[in-house]
Amino acid sequence: MKTYKIFTLVSTLSVGLWLTACNSQLDIKPVNSVATSQALSTAADLNALLVGAYDGLGGVNLYGGSFIRDAELLATVPSTGDVLWTGTFVAPQQIYVKRILVNNDQADATWTNAYRTINICNTVLANLNLALAADKDRIEGEAKFIRGSLYFELVRLYGKTWGDGDNNTNPGVPIVTTPTVVLDASSNVPRSSVAAVYTQALQDLTDAAAKLPVSNGFFATQGASNAQLSRVYLQKADYPNAAKAADAVISSKAYQLVPLANVFDTRQSQNGANTAETIFAIQNTDQDGINDLNTFYGSSDVGGRGDIELTDTFLSQFSAADGRAGLIYTDAVDAIRTVKFINQYGNIQVFRLAEMYLTRAEANFRAGTSVGAAPLADINLIRTRAGAAPLTAAQLTLANILRERRLELAFEGTYIHDLKRTKASVGTLAYNDPKLIFPVPLREVTTNPTLVQNTGY
Amino acid sequence: MKRFILLFLMVFGSAFCTIAIAQQERQVTGKVTAADNGSPIPGASVVAKGTTRGTQTDVDGNYTLTLPANIGTLVFSFVGVTTQEVAVGNRSVVNVTLSNDSRSLDEVVVTGYGSQSKRNLTGNIAKVGAREIENIPVPSVEQALQGKVAGVQITALNGKVGQGLQIKVRGSASLTASSQPLYVVDGIPITSADQSSTTAPTNPIADLNPNDIESLEILKDAASSAIYGSRASNGVVLITTKKGRAGKTTFDAGVQIGASNPTHLRQWLNTQQYVELFQEARANSAALGIPVYSATSLTNRFTRYAAGDAAGWQGANPTYNTDWQQQAFQKAPSQQYDLSARGGDAKTRFFISGQYFDQSGTLIKNRFRRLSGRVNLDHSATDKLTLGVNMNLSHSINDRVSNDNAFSTPLQIVALPPMTPVIDPRTNQLSGDYTLYYNPLLNRDFAAIQARVYRIIGNVYADYKLMPGLSFRTEFGTDLLGQQEEEYYGRETSRNTGAANGLGSNSFRQVTNYTTNNFFSFGRTIAEKHDIDATLGMSYQESRANFNSVTGQQFPSDAYKQLTAAAKITAGTGTESSYSFLSYFARVNYRFNNKYLIGASGRIDGSSRFGTNNRYGFFPAVSAGWILTEESFLKNVQALSLLKIRASYGLTGNAEIGDFSSQALYAATNNTGASAGYAGIPGQAPSQIPNPDLTWEKTLQTDIGLEFGFLDNRFSGELDYYEKNTSGLLLNVNVPGSSGFRTQLRNVGKLQNKGFEFVFNSKNITGAFNWSTSLNIAYNKNVVTDLGGTTITGSFLNRAQEGQPLGVFVGPEYAGVDVQNGDALYYKNTTNADGSIDHTTTNDYNSAAYVPLGNPSPKFIGGITNTFSFAGVDLSVLFNGQFGNYIYNGGGKFQSANGDFFDNQSVDQLDRWRKPGDVTNVPQARLLGGNGTGESSRYLQKGDYVRLRTLTLGYTLPKALLSSIHLNRVRIYVTGQNLLTFTGYTGWDPEVNSDAYVTGARGPINIGVDFYSAPQPRTIIGGLQIGF
Repeated sequence: MKTYKIFTLVSTLSVGLWLTACNSQLDIKPVNSVATSQALSTAADLNALLVGAYDGLGGVNLYGGSFIRDAELLATVPSTGDVLWTGTFVAPQQIYVKRILVNNDQADATWTNAYRTINICNTVLANLNLALAADKDRIEGEAKFIRGSLYFELVRLYGKTWGDGDNNTNPGVPIVTTPTVVLDASSNVPRSSVAAVYTQALQDLTDAAAKLPVSNGFFATQGASNAQLSRVYLQKADYPNAAKAADAVISSKAYQLVPLANVFDTRQSQNGANTAETIFAIQNTDQDGINDLNTFYGSSDVGGRGDIELTDTFLSQFSAADGRAGLIYTDAVDAIRTVKFINQYGNIQVFRLAEMYLTRAEANFRAGTSVGAAPLADINLIRTRAGAAPLTAAQLTLANILRERRLELAFEGTYIHDLKRTKASVGTLAYNDPKLIFPVPLREVTTNPTLVQNTGY
Repeated sequence: MKRFILLFLMVFGSAFCTIAIAQQERQVTGKVTAADNGSPIPGASVVAKGTTRGTQTDVDGNYTLTLPANIGTLVFSFVGVTTQEVAVGNRSVVNVTLSNDSRSLDEVVVTGYGSQSKRNLTGNIAKVGAREIENIPVPSVEQALQGKVAGVQITALNGKVGQGLQIKVRGSASLTASSQPLYVVDGIPITSADQSSTTAPTNPIADLNPNDIESLEILKDAASSAIYGSRASNGVVLITTKKGRAGKTTFDAGVQIGASNPTHLRQWLNTQQYVELFQEARANSAALGIPVYSATSLTNRFTRYAAGDAAGWQGANPTYNTDWQQQAFQKAPSQQYDLSARGGDAKTRFFISGQYFDQSGTLIKNRFRRLSGRVNLDHSATDKLTLGVNMNLSHSINDRVSNDNAFSTPLQIVALPPMTPVIDPRTNQLSGDYTLYYNPLLNRDFAAIQARVYRIIGNVYADYKLMPGLSFRTEFGTDLLGQQEEEYYGRETSRNTGAANGLGSNSFRQVTNYTTNNFFSFGRTIAEKHDIDATLGMSYQESRANFNSVTGQQFPSDAYKQLTAAAKITAGTGTESSYSFLSYFARVNYRFNNKYLIGASGRIDGSSRFGTNNRYGFFPAVSAGWILTEESFLKNVQALSLLKIRASYGLTGNAEIGDFSSQALYAATNNTGASAGYAGIPGQAPSQIPNPDLTWEKTLQTDIGLEFGFLDNRFSGELDYYEKNTSGLLLNVNVPGSSGFRTQLRNVGKLQNKGFEFVFNSKNITGAFNWSTSLNIAYNKNVVTDLGGTTITGSFLNRAQEGQPLGVFVGPEYAGVDVQNGDALYYKNTTNADGSIDHTTTNDYNSAAYVPLGNPSPKFIGGITNTFSFAGVDLSVLFNGQFGNYIYNGGGKFQSANGDFFDNQSVDQLDRWRKPGDVTNVPQARLLGGNGTGESSRYLQKGDYVRLRTLTLGYTLPKALLSSIHLNRVRIYVTGQNLLTFTGYTGWDPEVNSDAYVTGARGPINIGVDFYSAPQPRTIIGGLQIGF
């Protein structure tokens, strides 16, 4: 009996030892991701967070693809317009044929990715105290540039066009300016009015323009903020301010027009590069970033799916001498393609200087001013670069200015917004047809009871 | 907590000592005979339970054994028959018949940390013996279980070999966490989750050789599974491998060779039909003002698809009329070779085996090979100390194909127009650039995806008898899984990969699992009427998973496939994740007078996965049973051999909640998993919103069972009713996107599974001709009772929605075709002002309400096995089936879309509406018209099926013939798997759940989805088994 007791004691003790040894083993720290406290405590951490916001901004659902692709697809009259959708992805096809369902994946992805990026910006702005004194303004400016740009894109896609009814009552998108650390009832943010969202975007971009340096590598600059401001003002039909913002970019002399052949990166499978004309571009490399416009416009031999083909309708708009027709080619299977996104790893230019001349020309023309230069001079600067004949003073009409804008900036993300602000119809659809507005994503409407769905969905 | 456990151990330990009561040793004799022919079994092992004291039967099957004091049970075992435990009682002669029938009621079943006689069980444990799973031509053992276990639904995702599987024990008990059971091999939990680096899952259980398995026990109710605590909600599968046995060394060799082909093919349009349909579709669209291609443009397109040859598609006899579907399949041979040896003496016993398994899938380029070896050794060092090792080494090679939702997956080939030739006559190469979609045959010839797994599953143990009836066992087990995945895509595949000069990827995953179990086992009969079994111990498990991968592009030529040849390294990743479990468990079973049974068990689980506030959970269960046939009022009813009722109630958990899901996290990757850096500059972003209250899911389960046997158990069976209430379901709850997050993991939901299970075994005819039947049927009703007001959307129409079964298909209800204009119609199903439902139809998809359309999980599952034997010939026929479920064909909007886009269409589209008055379910053909192509019940079908799952016909050569050539046993057999299928489903196969949607957080919701999923293979093999 005594031996049994000893054995019992020994085994009991050995189990007991295991208990002591193991308890601390339950504290396992994550290593792929890290706890917030470890992630955000130094100036370098804040810089990395800001970079994370650029990564978000450049994602395929924002400026890395959809903002720009969908501005074209939504503006195109199916089959008779400038591009042809031949792909099988359902969401862009719905956008192309203007029969967007409430559960459209793209409407969902664009919305949630934009707010994900806005939340990063809000986190940066709430932690500016971590920044080195010398960097503080720049970091604030960059975060506000990104946030302001996203609110502007969101309100254009999900809200009624500026001026279509009452901007103060038309629902825009929810405005969130503080980081989300917990989720509670206050996370159900309702849609602010179109006017309020424009105000937020303008405030962010104006702050950004004031705080950002002229030169900042490939990150956002004063020029980028002014360029975005010129778009916001143009969309609001605030022509004097649009002209002023565009002129600020041009007169900063930070950017130069380059020869037509160099405007777009036509190399193959090379890391992206900005040109002297680039004001702001999404950076891609073969390591990081996806040029989703290459995915859709590029044929398979340049790394794309080739879902969007150009049409003869588009090609026929160029005059014989216009070198921009040379930016279009026919691929191996006779599909018409643009060279604008031919480099799989190329950057995606969000703003380039040519747009500023076109914006200044239009705004001056409409306002009857000559801020910076006369409209005719600006238009002809662009035409001349392309090898097209200069317009005469008599030819300087609004229609011709807008036509020039289209020829120069085709597929670069302005089309539907230009049509809407000029109240031009898309085929049989009027500029303010509900079919040209994205639905508030189904998942948002079902999740956040304060959200009001758009008309027509 | 720690101190409490220690104290408990001390008290429990000393209790053992005080109840030690001295009793006399006594002698028992008897004879062991075979149940089928009554002949004596020589060399059978007879052991006093819980001791090492044992003997073997002599040539006449007789034995004599001195039974130690306090031991009242003998364990009889022999190669190839079911081990039996027999209570000695007051007898001095104990004769036993051993049977091959593993459903015999006195069999021993393995329980968590122990074993018990089936008769004395108070929980529900289904046992499947070696004979029921061996030599079935499937790569992994769970597939061999299909139709054999009541209440266990096993679904192959598709017909790819070596692919993941889904197992559900008594319905789905989770929405977001895993629904797969816990797998325990020889006491050690093993890695069973998908380890694939692609979205198509793999199955780590396929690394086990099914022929090494002695038995599988599936713990279904709380009484049996609560001892596995926080990981038992989905049931527990205990796998016990074959052990050595004292006696002459026996060898078994086996070989089987066969081939597979697809169980079903679908019908597609030929060139003429295709051209006619699309010309009509274009004209219809043009007439309706739907923006569409011109007639010329369509003609050009057809010519383009016909390799530039207009004669390729025009006229009554077009040059090209390709049956693309046929091209997706290959000749699929399979072979398997086994060799094992088993033997030992009273001191040392061994089982050694080796197997080579090689099965080609029916899809092109799909093949699974496995080479495995096992050594199980047990050594009795002294009367008290037994040591042992179980070691399994395996190497499997899986030639894989892309997941179902990839242009490169073989079956998406059916989308190609029939006028496209396989070989482009202009180049004499495979048709490539000009085809409608990427040609998957290019992947067959110029790409390879191979996963190679190296697996070591092993454990060592020591078992020490502290005193008669009390032993202490310590086990240490490892499961090391190393998986190399190599992918290479040649330049010819650039249309699919986007990489002009080849793309290669090489990834390595290592999952290490260390477990130690240390426990006391106690078993004693007191005063002849009180039987007590008890277990008390602890367990610690630590698991770490590492993954790294490199991707490169720009290879000089296809001759170079290793990444060192890549001029550009385009991606790389390295990740790690870990978790640990620290657990304490106890169980007590008490039996009074051999008829009243009660049991209680509990486990305390602590895990690194749980937040610090909820670090430990307690999982108790209680159970009771009453063997009525032991009562005097039934004892004399001769016809009734067993009547037992039992009930159990207990709590289990599901801890598959992710390793760090409760914490607020930042990541250097973004929401697509790519780097959060930007053009080479490092970046980070918030990646997870915290939930400090996160905890395991809880399942409270009640089980009431009835076991019966008539006429000496000639007819026997079990009937169970269960109710599983799961609460605190982990849900990735949608949160407002404006927060910057899409979802947050919360314990909010509740769901319920309840149902019946019925098992019936009958020996219809016995004697020279034997016929027995084994039937199981299970009914399960699953309902999601609470989702905190939200709805979770899965793939296509799958939803988790309150008041509906998990994964219910919700969408617009298709109402057929407008007879006047050919428009697709949907029922509005909107609610009128007076509360009634508007059943009128609309042609506007957006104005049709989303309504529940069908349940993806079957109401009934079941199987029936009939076994016949006569004069050495054996025949076994297993049918299984499922009823009451629906399947959604996610590919329907491409495959059967009345000419919406250029995908080749299924032949039923020939029935399209063509003129006013046509009554059909296929709307008017409209190119790009989206006429009826929205996700709706149009693509939903019933998934009922009955399948002739396995048919085996064998012949065992007469012993007399064999003894002259020194062989024990020679059997030749043929086995057919999936020979016949009876179903109304018009897709490839009703046994489907596309591999493209089952991984990820929404995986558990995505049930019953077909998406270009390959049909199950029909496999026929011939085999030979030799024993010597």
